[in-house]
Amino acid sequence: MKKRSGSFGKHFSVLLVIIVFVGPMVWILINSFKPTVELLSPSPTFFPRNFTLEHYWNLFRRVNFSRYYYNSFIVALSTAVITALAGALAAYSVYRCRYPGRKILFRLFLSSYVFPKVLILVPLYIMFSQLNIIDTPLALVAAHVMLTAPFSVWILRAFFESIPIAIEEAALVDGANRLQIVFRVFIPLAAPGIAAIGINGFLMSWSEYLFASVLAITDINKTLPVGMAYFLQEYSIEWGVMMAGSVLIALPPVVGFAIAGRYFIEGLTAGSVK
Amino acid sequence: MGKKLKPTQNFAEIVFNDPVLGILLVLPLLFWVLATIIYPLFNTIYFSFFNIRYIGVPFQPVGLTNYKYVLQDPSFLLACGRSALWTLINVTLQIVGSLVVALILNQNFRGRDFIRNWVILPWVLPTVVVAIMWKWILDPTHGVVNYLLINLGLLAEPIQFLASPQWVMPTTIFINTWRWTPYFSIILLAALQTIQRELYEAAAIDGASTWNQFRYITLPVIAPVLSVVALNSFLWSVNIFDTIWLLTRGGPIDYTTTLPIYIYKKAFQEFRFGEASAASIVMFLGLLLIVVVYLRRLFRESEEEGL
Repeated sequence: MKKRSGSFGKHFSVLLVIIVFVGPMVWILINSFKPTVELLSPSPTFFPRNFTLEHYWNLFRRVNFSRYYYNSFIVALSTAVITALAGALAAYSVYRCRYPGRKILFRLFLSSYVFPKVLILVPLYIMFSQLNIIDTPLALVAAHVMLTAPFSVWILRAFFESIPIAIEEAALVDGANRLQIVFRVFIPLAAPGIAAIGINGFLMSWSEYLFASVLAITDINKTLPVGMAYFLQEYSIEWGVMMAGSVLIALPPVVGFAIAGRYFIEGLTAGSVK
Repeated sequence: MGKKLKPTQNFAEIVFNDPVLGILLVLPLLFWVLATIIYPLFNTIYFSFFNIRYIGVPFQPVGLTNYKYVLQDPSFLLACGRSALWTLINVTLQIVGSLVVALILNQNFRGRDFIRNWVILPWVLPTVVVAIMWKWILDPTHGVVNYLLINLGLLAEPIQFLASPQWVMPTTIFINTWRWTPYFSIILLAALQTIQRELYEAAAIDGASTWNQFRYITLPVIAPVLSVVALNSFLWSVNIFDTIWLLTRGGPIDYTTTLPIYIYKKAFQEFRFGEASAASIVMFLGLLLIVVVYLRRLFRESEEEGL
């Protein structure tokens, strides 16, 4: 219908957006398959002339990468499970139960998302030192759940509201007790939402740097972001290895987003567009 | 959405009036929040009055010394200035950038849904990947940007994007804006899609220019969303730590040391935990107004929907 500018301008602008925002990651992916000579040559190639997986091998042979990967996975998985459980139960309580003070609790969870995280870095570090759990996965999980669980109550809102109360009423009439209703009836129905906050928790923990950098100190306890960041500050960076590492670190978030991305985008847009 | 509850509300009121269950279920998260957020927050205030260099020995009370130290520290004041600059430019660029991207993606083209989903990739990537990526792309000797600029004859010698004092701030701001722009553009896009196309067609028939269509049809609809974007962008920009730290470690010298970097360096490089706490409190007081505005908005929005 619109007569102006025509299809060239339209497609050019879309292409530009793709190049600017998706291009860099594609460039890293392509580069991770180039042999070092080609990677560092003064006249860069676009596609690898000699395809190689040497950087991926080096990642596991020369760097403690498998250990970081394992650590990140354990911490992120624990964070995801605890976030999903604690978040779902708290959300049920806040949205479905009636008791004095629940509005304050809801506000408390909501506000914990807003304050600057760097504010509690020092006291958390000191507290964990005094509890002697610094440099353990436990400290990291505790911090990561703190970052992701309170806000997941908010994410769950739309999911919980889409489940009709009539279902719980029917279960009650059928003689189920309240706990059974929560665990046997409600949680299975809300499973997609709970999975979404779990995935969100996993990805947040997987990517988190600030807390991990002070809570994971020795090399065998480092998570991926902390382990890779260490190599990034060295004077001569091994670019091939860094590139391959980036691809492998980015893999879970990209896959996770491919699976659950539409929930994020829905949640993202539902909250702010009225 | 919450209005769905209305028809059965009376029955629901009876059914769900179960304080014991409610408190039981909320307890794990509540405990977590109290132990890892509220208690540490009060500790930040408490620690800011102590000299803490080593953990394990008793902390010495020093009154307001840490606050005096911080407020008289020229690098703290510089960090405040840099944080202000960083935030202001980031917010401006992110608002303009996300609006442009949203308008581009609001056009009709093939593969639209797919592209809309994946344009948010920079936000999905872990920060460490973003840092490695841009350090590589902007590398003075091996980076593709310098290579292209030199070969196109625009540059005589490579720019040290992340190592020269005059380039490092604009470069980190660009990278952070690059990362957040798609995220905000998706929010704006959702608002744009609520506008009916017929409105534009009718306006075009009446002879309204593209600018006037934007000014009188688009802008009024997205204005409230733009303010949400601005508020979010402000709060997140001001608190950005990892992007800057992983790209520059606050350097060269102190050129990218914003407040979060200053606090981190004080605590974990100089081991001045008391001073770091005092700096945190000062930063929080500076942000208090915007935090309150943000929370009021969030509360109002959530309670409108009938909690």
